[in-house]
Amino acid sequence: MRVLLVEDELDIQGFLQRSLAEAGYQVEAAGDARTAERLAIESNHDALVVDLGLPDQDGLSLILRLRQLGLSAPVLILSARRSVDDRVRGLEQGGDDYLTKPFALAELLARLRNLVKRNTSSSTEATRLRVLDLELDLLRREASRSGELLNLTPQEFILLEYLCRNAGRVVTRSMILDEVWGMRIQPDTNVVDVHIYRLRGKVDTDGRGPLIRTLRGVGYVLRDR
Amino acid sequence: MFSGTAKPIMRSAAWRLSLWATLAFACGTMVVFVFLQQFVAGDIQRRTDAWLTGEAGVLGDVAARTPKGALYGRVVREVAELASREVPHKPGINLGPNDSVFFLQTAGDGSLALWVGAGDAGAHLDAVRSSRIVPETPSDLHVSGFDTPFRVACVRMANGSNVYLGLSERDDLRVLRNLRIRFILLWLLIVFIGAAIVFYSTRRVLRHIRNITDAASRIGEADLSSRVPTTRRNDEVAQLALTLNHMLDRIESSIHQLHTITGSLAHDLRSPLTAVRAKLEMALTAGTKDEESESIVSAIEDMDRLTDFLNKSLDVAEAKANALRLNRVAIDLDEILRVMIDLYEPGMSEKGLRVQLSSTGPLEINADAALVHRMMANLFDNELKHLPPSCTVTISLRTSEDAALLVLEDNGPGFEAGIAGHIFERRVKGRNSNGHGLGLAFVDAVVRAHGGTIEAQNRREGGARLTIMLPRAGNQGSARPSSMALASN
Repeated sequence: MRVLLVEDELDIQGFLQRSLAEAGYQVEAAGDARTAERLAIESNHDALVVDLGLPDQDGLSLILRLRQLGLSAPVLILSARRSVDDRVRGLEQGGDDYLTKPFALAELLARLRNLVKRNTSSSTEATRLRVLDLELDLLRREASRSGELLNLTPQEFILLEYLCRNAGRVVTRSMILDEVWGMRIQPDTNVVDVHIYRLRGKVDTDGRGPLIRTLRGVGYVLRDR
Repeated sequence: MFSGTAKPIMRSAAWRLSLWATLAFACGTMVVFVFLQQFVAGDIQRRTDAWLTGEAGVLGDVAARTPKGALYGRVVREVAELASREVPHKPGINLGPNDSVFFLQTAGDGSLALWVGAGDAGAHLDAVRSSRIVPETPSDLHVSGFDTPFRVACVRMANGSNVYLGLSERDDLRVLRNLRIRFILLWLLIVFIGAAIVFYSTRRVLRHIRNITDAASRIGEADLSSRVPTTRRNDEVAQLALTLNHMLDRIESSIHQLHTITGSLAHDLRSPLTAVRAKLEMALTAGTKDEESESIVSAIEDMDRLTDFLNKSLDVAEAKANALRLNRVAIDLDEILRVMIDLYEPGMSEKGLRVQLSSTGPLEINADAALVHRMMANLFDNELKHLPPSCTVTISLRTSEDAALLVLEDNGPGFEAGIAGHIFERRVKGRNSNGHGLGLAFVDAVVRAHGGTIEAQNRREGGARLTIMLPRAGNQGSARPSSMALASN
């Protein structure tokens, strides 16, 4: 997986480059729009991560021009601006997702993963998900652990399915809100934690190894080993 | 929005102005006429009196000089008839026996000495006897059988007899009546024309003002870049338009400045925050010891709170300055509420709170989906944070023809007495609240940005009630469902 990272703040660029590399991506980095355009034309990338505030040009114009030049790879927009207008303009001009600064690295990785997956393998959807001794039947909407059926509400099933699909990777609260409830909101309260707490009460019952781990300050992860 | 045709003329300012102007004009001209008529009437009487006094003097002279005898009556009668022919303002139509002039001489004992005039002298003699006419001063005399009084001058002769010369005031009154009728007709015409002119000119001016009002109200809700129409004339209305446009220039530049400031503030703060957060996260995943990771985690949590506060502050600042950019699409409030309840219900029941929804079914409005989601989240957060255990939140969603009505009620302690009126202002919060005091300010700003209203009050039976009205049809059209579908992925 090749990723082109366009970010002018060298500090942030360094960290992103490092964590993307750690996640298994081949990263090329550019600090301005001109370099980014050259790199994008020279080789194919599976995804782009573009900051909107570039020194020589607006990130949106860069994306627009790359699209005109035939770029088809998905773009994850990083923005320090967060008014709705900018987001929508970003999406209309061919970016496929956006993230406002500051963000959790885990969320960046998850969104990037989603983009690449969406773009490459829209093929055969599995009807069953299996993580360790947890098994989800996506057609019958049933979950079982060690062969024992779990009594989940529909919403809890969706939440567990999302965790399973990202097993072994961190998901943040805002990603859960976005994916499970379809809202980009930042509640002041611990509403998501309560959902996870309840789900954990059903999945990680006594005697079984806990599957759902809380990473404080980051989010949650479903253990896959 | 109102338009010229929809507004009844009777209630327009142009109508009121022209009504008052016409009234003032009519009263003024009427006063002028009354003075004019008084003056003309006085002048006519003065001339009549002068003639009467002169003629009476001549007649008296002739009567005194003519010897009393057989000829006396004839001489005086001829002189009197001659005099009556030169009556002033005498209209030519009166060709019959002239009853507008009479000559009467009474003897010293009051009996009739001589009568020159139309008809019988009896009535005139009775009238003269019953009234006290002072010599030299003409005065009015009412004679029975005549509608109009006579003006009578009297001369006392040396032999004690009195000579009376009378002239009917009929002609004078006719002249005055004609004058009056013509004036009133003319007056009506002038008043009518004046009213029409005033009405149309004020309406013209006021139409300019209404155009300005319409344009200004459009500017308020849509964009700040357009301006109210100006005219080339340099009158007060043009000045108003110019002043408004100058004001809009200043507002636009302030809003622009606000955007720039919030934009650069956001950018300048966000970049270092991103870097710090990334460093902390990497330190956390780099396999640190437990006690170190604990402090890193709490640093990250503090950072997230700071970020959240920054975001909310900027949102509320932009919203309060009416600088929120709305991206209206059709959204179903009923569905959003159900999703919200689904999200918040576990958190609320964990705290011992119950939530009930009473809704009449799907209710679509044109609104900014992301803002409405965040507004709802703020409302639920607010209830969750401030209600003591075992309270119930009742949410009801109703619809009218052009608005959606959302009412949130709880049976908690209600708003604190001191802050009930300021609950939607920034940084206003209850004494025991641990929030930023931004939640309801943001709700208020979003509702206003959509052209709705919000009201907070304490219920009589205890607890708080928030009433939110959102117009169903957005007045900015331009729905972009495709982009929002992407945004909600």
